[in-house]
Amino acid sequence: MRRSLILGGLLVLGLPGLAFAAEGSQAGGWIGPFAVIAAGIGMAIAAGLCGLGQGRAVASAVDAMARQPGAAARIQTAMIIGLALIESLAIYTLVIALILLFVKGIQFS
Amino acid sequence: MGAIEHPPIFRLPGIPDHVTYTWLVMLILTGVAFAASRNVQLVPRGLQNFFEVVLEQFIQLIDDVMGHEGRRYLPLIATLGLFILVGNLMSLVPGLAGPTGNLNTTAACALVVFVAYHWIGIRKQGALAYLKHFAGPVPLALKPLMFVIEIISHLARPLSLTLRLFGNMTGGHILLAVIFFLMGLDGLIGWALSGSVAGALIGGVGGAVTIVFTVGFLYPLKILVSLLQAFIFVMLTMLYISGAIEEAEHHAEHH
Repeated sequence: MRRSLILGGLLVLGLPGLAFAAEGSQAGGWIGPFAVIAAGIGMAIAAGLCGLGQGRAVASAVDAMARQPGAAARIQTAMIIGLALIESLAIYTLVIALILLFVKGIQFS
Repeated sequence: MGAIEHPPIFRLPGIPDHVTYTWLVMLILTGVAFAASRNVQLVPRGLQNFFEVVLEQFIQLIDDVMGHEGRRYLPLIATLGLFILVGNLMSLVPGLAGPTGNLNTTAACALVVFVAYHWIGIRKQGALAYLKHFAGPVPLALKPLMFVIEIISHLARPLSLTLRLFGNMTGGHILLAVIFFLMGLDGLIGWALSGSVAGALIGGVGGAVTIVFTVGFLYPLKILVSLLQAFIFVMLTMLYISGAIEEAEHHAEHH
């Protein structure tokens, strides 16, 4: 299982290089495919871990709201601010992915 | 993101789209505010009633977060909130562009907040006391380290405000564009209009499913995100201002 995962990872990361070696004509055009892979993998990791973090935060907040319904409004405000702060970490990765995908100097260099 | 998103319908030549639509937001807000306050009555009706409800919500939020002395900053906070909210919602109208989907607009808003809360803190406490406020309640040997860390954390605030709003709005736009693009809405509609019976059946049903899914599921999500991001921007602004005006002893850390 682990060996096949490593092999698959190497294959995914190595294929654009092979494809470039097969093309071979464009000088220096090898960053683009790696940028797309990096954007996808990075966004996947960021989204998954952000989901775990937000899930923990929401679980605790709902627990607290169920125990103390009187304080629900304040807990909800604090929860929304916390969620925004957690989410901004994933947004940073999104911005980096957008830079990798859409900035011309990286994509076509 | 011009690669997959359609440009807006109305464009001024030589002027970037987000500037044009920032002007449009400003026109809408000033026009509505003028219309609401032109004929102020003791018993509010119509537009004046609506705006009083909106501003009372802002005042209640400020009272909850900052206390009564925060009401002085209502103009700054409410203007920022209304501008960002209208900008966010405007980017959902097909054929218009949203000013908040561009990094320059959000950076401008965040810089206004950054300068404003430092200025408010210096006015309230005096420059020296405000600088001391950065070092925090730690022993003297740790104060230089604490000072540097606080400076970095304060410099990270406008960055995170900028990138949060920009990333949320742009990510939503790209999601909408990619879903329309991957589902092939233009191809389906072209197929439906091609005149053949099978094309009309498949293309019409497919196009209808695409539009219903997007309008019924993604648009409510985007409206929620628009409201939430405007709320969070305003909320963090209030937290930063109240962190700047409170005394050094009760220093609380908010990033």
